[in-house]
Amino acid sequence: MEDIVWYLLSTVALLSAIAVVMIPKPLYSAFALVLHMFMIAGLFAMLDAHFLATAQIIVYAGAIMVLVIFVIMLLSLQGAEERPSLLFSVASFAIVAALARYIVPRLDAAFGSSGTDLAGTVKSVGELLYTKYIFPFEAASVLIMVAIVGAVILSKREKKDAA
Amino acid sequence: MEWLILFLKVFVVFQVAQGLASLCVWVERKGSALIQDRIGANRAGAFAQTDILLLKPVMPIIRLLGVLGIINTLVCDAVKALFKEDFLPENTSNFVHSLAPFMGAFPVFVAYALIPIAPDFTIAGYYIRPQVASLDVGILFIFAMGSIAVYGATIAGWVGNNKFSLLGGLRTAAQMISYELALGLSLVCMVILYGTLDLYEMIEAQSTLLFGFLPAWGVFTQPIAFIIFFIAGMAETKRAPFDLPEAESELVAGYFTEYSGMKFLLFWLGEFAEIALLSALMVIMFFGGWDIPFVHYPETWWGALIGHAVFMAKVSFFCVLQIVIRWTLPRFRYDQLMTMGWKMLLPIAMFNLLLTGALKLLM
Repeated sequence: MEDIVWYLLSTVALLSAIAVVMIPKPLYSAFALVLHMFMIAGLFAMLDAHFLATAQIIVYAGAIMVLVIFVIMLLSLQGAEERPSLLFSVASFAIVAALARYIVPRLDAAFGSSGTDLAGTVKSVGELLYTKYIFPFEAASVLIMVAIVGAVILSKREKKDAA
Repeated sequence: MEWLILFLKVFVVFQVAQGLASLCVWVERKGSALIQDRIGANRAGAFAQTDILLLKPVMPIIRLLGVLGIINTLVCDAVKALFKEDFLPENTSNFVHSLAPFMGAFPVFVAYALIPIAPDFTIAGYYIRPQVASLDVGILFIFAMGSIAVYGATIAGWVGNNKFSLLGGLRTAAQMISYELALGLSLVCMVILYGTLDLYEMIEAQSTLLFGFLPAWGVFTQPIAFIIFFIAGMAETKRAPFDLPEAESELVAGYFTEYSGMKFLLFWLGEFAEIALLSALMVIMFFGGWDIPFVHYPETWWGALIGHAVFMAKVSFFCVLQIVIRWTLPRFRYDQLMTMGWKMLLPIAMFNLLLTGALKLLM
């Protein structure tokens, strides 16, 4: 039963990820990306990482993708004028595949064992975030704050130039 | 047997959701008539006659349902929508056009999986908790589904292929994202207070008494959070006084201008299911669920049934309250809406969060 669900989720995740880059219409590829986020959330849920799965839906599918679709609708983009050549596509695929081949085993060595004794409940994630990983957590929030302030300043300056 | 119990739970909870949505539709039609000093739907089935002897005894009941407008809202409206032409605007894809109402209604019904509808009970040796899924993330899941519900209206606004629809869709997205913040912060206060994300445990946490006479309901311990949740929640359902996305005096009908027949009805159903979901959440977090002060339910099937009746009575009250508000207050202006969301509700919610955290630390 679990195997069937896993294969279903990962197949749809892969297909929708391919669809994101293959579909010429921007709005449809955004929809495919939303579907992909859902499948990733499902895979997280299968790993008992319930909090991560829900956060994935709230943050990526619910907030970021809404903004992306918002922008696509407002600009009413019609799609790329020219498709990249086959050689370019194959070359970029080869580079990404080689990088993944290099990175994934190292990621597994670095983080693979630490997660096994922890359940992905809200409680355990929260405890880890506010004790062991308090510094990266707070640093990330400062980083996001800097990005927000920067965005506000940049958009204000553009408005002044236009006026 | 486990599968059968799960199936029954899903069936019952889905019926509860549908029943509440239908009740809301009926109250919307008959209640609005009452408020506006009209009579409202009272014809369909009101003069029903039959020659079949077996059906004669039930005819008075059918005639009564007809006079009350129930047949009109539950049978005639649905049949009419099913047989209506499904109009598709030019230069749009049928797939996306059909996807939008589905995306609007589906997350709301999924969120019902987390709602506990009655206290625990034991029947024939099986211990049953009347909640389809008791997830560890609890209320966060409902919040996630709420953030997905934005898609329906936004896509519908885009696929309409005209400026009015698009404006409606954009207004929806802006409004829902703005009010989600205040809504989320008021939820965080309740999570801090009860120390759990699970809705069932929240109800249990409220079953004690404050100072020996006041029930420890959320509305008495967190009045500010309740007011913020109520206002932000009403804004999430996109109904008057927050119905800017479908403001008919400015935008024809907003994001569902180009929808007819069953697709339109699905939007409607999703909207009413959302009202009922919001009412259920309010009852669970702020009004103690099925809790009545000084009453303890026995863990039998009839105890659970009484608990369910109490719960549904409270939920129905809040559904009707929202509909009465919808037919009483005029619509906000768009800048007023944004000012209220960002400059009033959000700071108050943040202050309340600080206050709750400080009090929790002190106690």
